[in-house]
Amino acid sequence: MAPTETERQRQGAPAKCAACAGPMDSPLFCDHCRSLYPADGLNHFELFGLAPTYDIDPALLRQKYLQVSRGVHPDYHSTGDSSLSLHLSAQLNEAHRVLADPVLRAEYLLELVGGKSAKEDKSVPPEVLSTALLLREEIQEARTAGDAAALESRGAQARAVYERTLATIAELARQMPGDERSRARLRTALNSIKYHQKLLTEL
Amino acid sequence: MDNGEIIVGIDLGTTFSLVAYADAAGPHIVRDEHGDGRVPSVIGVTPGTGNRPPQVTIGWTARAHAVENPQATVYSVKRLIGKGVADVHEDLPYLSYAVAAGPRDTVQIDINGRRYTPEEISALILRELRERAEKHLGVPVRKAVITVPAYFDDAQRQATRDAGRAADLEVVRIINEPTAAALAYGIGVRPESTAAKTPRGHVALPMARCTSESGGALDQTGQTVAVYDLGGGTFDISILRLEEGVSQVLSTAGDTHLGGDDFDRAIINLISHEIRERFGVSVSAPATKQALRTLAENTKIRLTDHDQAEFELDLGRDRVYRRVITRAEFEGLVAPLVERTITLCEHALKDAKLHSADIQQAILVGGCSRIPLVRKRVGELFSRPPYTALNPDEVVALGAALQAAILSGQRTDMLLLDVIPLSLGIETMGGAMGKLILRNTTIPCRATEMFTTFVDGQTAIQLNVLQGERELARDCRLLGQFELRGLPPMPAGMPKVEVEFLIDANGILNVAAKELRSGQAASIQIVPNHGLTRDEVDQITRDSLRFARADLDAHRRIDLLNQVEFDTQKTVQMLAKVGHLLDDADRVRIDHDIAALRQFAQETKDLDELYRRLTAFGHSTLRLAELGIREAFKKGT
Repeated sequence: MAPTETERQRQGAPAKCAACAGPMDSPLFCDHCRSLYPADGLNHFELFGLAPTYDIDPALLRQKYLQVSRGVHPDYHSTGDSSLSLHLSAQLNEAHRVLADPVLRAEYLLELVGGKSAKEDKSVPPEVLSTALLLREEIQEARTAGDAAALESRGAQARAVYERTLATIAELARQMPGDERSRARLRTALNSIKYHQKLLTEL
Repeated sequence: MDNGEIIVGIDLGTTFSLVAYADAAGPHIVRDEHGDGRVPSVIGVTPGTGNRPPQVTIGWTARAHAVENPQATVYSVKRLIGKGVADVHEDLPYLSYAVAAGPRDTVQIDINGRRYTPEEISALILRELRERAEKHLGVPVRKAVITVPAYFDDAQRQATRDAGRAADLEVVRIINEPTAAALAYGIGVRPESTAAKTPRGHVALPMARCTSESGGALDQTGQTVAVYDLGGGTFDISILRLEEGVSQVLSTAGDTHLGGDDFDRAIINLISHEIRERFGVSVSAPATKQALRTLAENTKIRLTDHDQAEFELDLGRDRVYRRVITRAEFEGLVAPLVERTITLCEHALKDAKLHSADIQQAILVGGCSRIPLVRKRVGELFSRPPYTALNPDEVVALGAALQAAILSGQRTDMLLLDVIPLSLGIETMGGAMGKLILRNTTIPCRATEMFTTFVDGQTAIQLNVLQGERELARDCRLLGQFELRGLPPMPAGMPKVEVEFLIDANGILNVAAKELRSGQAASIQIVPNHGLTRDEVDQITRDSLRFARADLDAHRRIDLLNQVEFDTQKTVQMLAKVGHLLDDADRVRIDHDIAALRQFAQETKDLDELYRRLTAFGHSTLRLAELGIREAFKKGT
């Protein structure tokens, strides 16, 4: 059976524009005749023609993002199919938002390999909870007391905890799809980092 | 250009509005014969007399007569648009016109018993700009890009779009002012050498001109810039990445209630306080409020270039209030306002995950960015002199014209990627704000949420859509109530209704809903808050259609004749009141000028000449008008 258009794109084969038969660099638009194509079934990585891995080159992601944005943005499609352009643009912006953020990117990778969502598995190690709780109290105390030095040192501590968890997440995300155990560990680390993020925003 | 149809760019400002267009050479401001592109965002309504209906004046004329006509002169309407009365209560003591609550928590303006919506007033300004552009370009203008403060919420954006529709303009895009400025900056728009010299006017206000010193070289390859936009009524800070022709907003912060008006009020408060202390009189009469406003504005502008401003108010009955305000004193008064803008800059930097040292250029926009203290503090924050080479009054309109060129297909070398300034969400059970789209998300953007029913056979679901950053729904802004109707009757909890919240490139929310089990689209009934219904917008548009269809020349002739009548009549009244303060020779000359202008107006067909003479008349009676303002003070207090 011949591969479908989407499968061909996944395999990295060059696609042809249905309208002008020209080659297409992006699955979403034709550079020659400016035709747009729906992104049904394409994941965030595929929108940018990137391999689904944790380690992506931020400069490359940005370059692809700007390039595809130029192709599909409603500003350049005000006369044609503006609804498709609007939805593609929204999808692209969402994909970029997720992939540009190391935590959201790991979360997305976990979702792609069929890992549990935050709703399905809410587990957080008790020591993460107690550390976060303690730090928060100390930060509040330091703030009430106007103790800038204590505030600074607790802030540094909170950032260090965050960085450590992020490193764990990166390490686990690189192993995806991994086994059930590593997916569960990634899930727990992702649940944990939410507490650390919240602490940092409170600083 | 697409269909050969021109799209103009409009900066609809709190104090001044401008219209611009782009051609192959770049963007251009449409200027009056004095070289001034600014149209004061002021509307005056003169009461009808006998069989003459009330007349509307717009721009410099309305502004010039503000003191004589305080209750029927509307200014700073941008601070009211898309808001409720409770939102603007701090403004009310400073307005010389009456404001009342309208339906659906809107603000209305009451002039001689007739209610006007802020959309209607804005539409009058837009219409004036449209006609100005049509006259200059010689073709009908039906489409526009209109700028709004980046921090405008959905209701304010919708209201601005409605004002455009009411002015018979298709608003093809709403863009943010700082982003527009960045667009103009990004393509290296240079200050025009033909820039305005003097503003036209019956009461000429000394406006500080933009200085030409620049804060650094213009580097177009990948830089991060901050646009600091302090206008007449609003403040925005936007952090942008300019790269490969794409201007991407990384974050924005602001206050739609912080601008030049507030700087003026700091001076007004000082003067009113001292007058009360010294003479035991309070400044409350509309004419006095209006005159004080003009005085405060002039003082603020004077202190931009001078170390002190001196003024004198004759309060009548041998009471004279004299005052010298030094720049240092003024800076002391407004420092809290400036610090608020600096704090907002810090918020924007934090949201962009950047430090001030990452900013390669700080671009100043808006008339108030000329204030030396503002320049100093912005320079300190970003550790570099701000970039001031662009005229802060004009750069936003130029950017709007560039965006218009993009949308018309004229330019394909630039793209704007903007963000939503405030988080969007829905009220959840228990009155919390459930955020669906976070602030500073790039637009267009989209979020979906699933809903179900609580009762068997329920066919409708009501949602309260909110905008804001606070945790509780009641602390956020209610954009409107969305009622999903026509759900197929099912047992409670069975329907799966997917609601799509889509923010388009205008930053305006569009909602669609679908019941997934049946695949049936649910209809959505929207009750907007702080805005007009479609019917109301249509009504305003119908009301104003007669203007749109009228032959432009005939319309202009009527306007000019009315203006001649209005100006000469005012001058006659003023002569009667304060004429004795003039030399005999001056009085005789003005008498003669009045008769000559009236006669010429009746006889001529040359409208441009009539306009020139009307303007000259305004200049020759300037001294008299100033005496009139002083007189108003004596009467008012």
